[in-house]
Amino acid sequence: MIKTCVSLYSLQDEYLNHRMDLEQILRYVKECGAQGVELLPDQMLHGTPNPPQEQIDLWNRLIAETGLTPVCDDVFLNTNLYKNRTLTHRECIDLLIDEIKLAHKLGFHLIRLVSMVPWWVQEPLLPYCEKYDVAIAVEVHAGMAFDVQATNDFIKEMKRLNSRYIGLVIDTGIFCRRMPRVVRNYEVSVGTSPEVFDYMDSLFAQGTDFHQVLLKTGYQYPDELKAAMKCEHDKLSVPLLDGYENYPFEVLDDLIPYIKHFHLKTFEMTEEGPEYSMDYKALLEYLHSKNYDGYVSTEYEGNRFTLAGQPMQEKKQVAMQQAYLKKCLQEIQG
Amino acid sequence: MFDNNVFLKDSCRNYCEQGKVAGFELATNITYYRGIPLSMVEYIKVAVDGAEVPNDTIEISVDRIDWFTLKEAETVTTYKWEYGEPLYIRVPGEGLSKGEHKVRLTVATRTAYIPVPLEGIKERTVVIE
Repeated sequence: MIKTCVSLYSLQDEYLNHRMDLEQILRYVKECGAQGVELLPDQMLHGTPNPPQEQIDLWNRLIAETGLTPVCDDVFLNTNLYKNRTLTHRECIDLLIDEIKLAHKLGFHLIRLVSMVPWWVQEPLLPYCEKYDVAIAVEVHAGMAFDVQATNDFIKEMKRLNSRYIGLVIDTGIFCRRMPRVVRNYEVSVGTSPEVFDYMDSLFAQGTDFHQVLLKTGYQYPDELKAAMKCEHDKLSVPLLDGYENYPFEVLDDLIPYIKHFHLKTFEMTEEGPEYSMDYKALLEYLHSKNYDGYVSTEYEGNRFTLAGQPMQEKKQVAMQQAYLKKCLQEIQG
Repeated sequence: MFDNNVFLKDSCRNYCEQGKVAGFELATNITYYRGIPLSMVEYIKVAVDGAEVPNDTIEISVDRIDWFTLKEAETVTTYKWEYGEPLYIRVPGEGLSKGEHKVRLTVATRTAYIPVPLEGIKERTVVIE
């Protein structure tokens, strides 16, 4: 069964600017009809990974009151905690053990490890995952997906250990079929040449994407792109555009048993229903055909592409995506 | 991308110690979507009317009790700059002179997986009365 969830990442600007507190946010997620909730403890709790007891009590009270299921705990690993050195293996593992203990206290059974978390954390963490009943799953994110060494190393070790406590979280930004137009509009508003986006659009129209092009050229810009880059600002913005990938769903065929969770990345829900750049319905049909049993979580990221002076759309976009998912799932699952 | 988080409105003013102006201060939200220990502040720059303030004079604090120079902050892991809470920045000295100033703040944080620091910049017109 596929169930719905909202990542609180989606409502970050509401929280940052104190328009909503954690309680209002969780009640809103419930109102939108989601079954589960995903939290970034570093974002909406204080003092993590060892927060004061009041923070833990607050979370657990709100979960009890709303009836939401705590589905996924988004964990980061600060390997660059210090400027002058990278953390040692043991320091990394100790930090993640604290995160597993916190996840347990907050009622989560799944931790999303941020992309690029090294493969070697898995085996030492496994006894803690078992003890606290918390799985760890690395995120496969556009720009850091199946051609990236760290992701593939993680997957290799995951298959070797073959534990139900180790898996993957897939971010649907790897299934973009068009370049999000909110990205174009925002980038052009801050000085990027529109021709750069005409070029990006042409790649998607050909069934490929900028990331694939860079892989093929060894990270050299093709002449067509160079011609589209009309100003100095383009040199800063073009490197940000390889995080929108155009994989077929079938890239997941062999990985389905390991997939613990999905981030349904949203750049822009449109009035007519679907997200502008991704086809959620086709993805849900694919997942249903593969008997995926788990949550799909709204992760709105259009917030960072809001034009200056325009109102923040976070609440509206979350509600729109949840309504659309509900409709799709009713059709697909009955 | 995080420019809108930088330099909280109406936060820039002179501050006093023992009845005398001891410098100027300002505040900012984080250029990231989560809280991090202070050691992960990559750099902070303050410019007044186009002239950058010497980096070794800048001090930062999450609570306005314990202040750290940027160099000292590199080892501060016990205090976290929380998401949704300001970082206070001060520049000890003579403060800003009366009148209008263009104050530009640059904030960059190190992130867990992105190789380049996340930078945000905002300039505000500040009036000192």
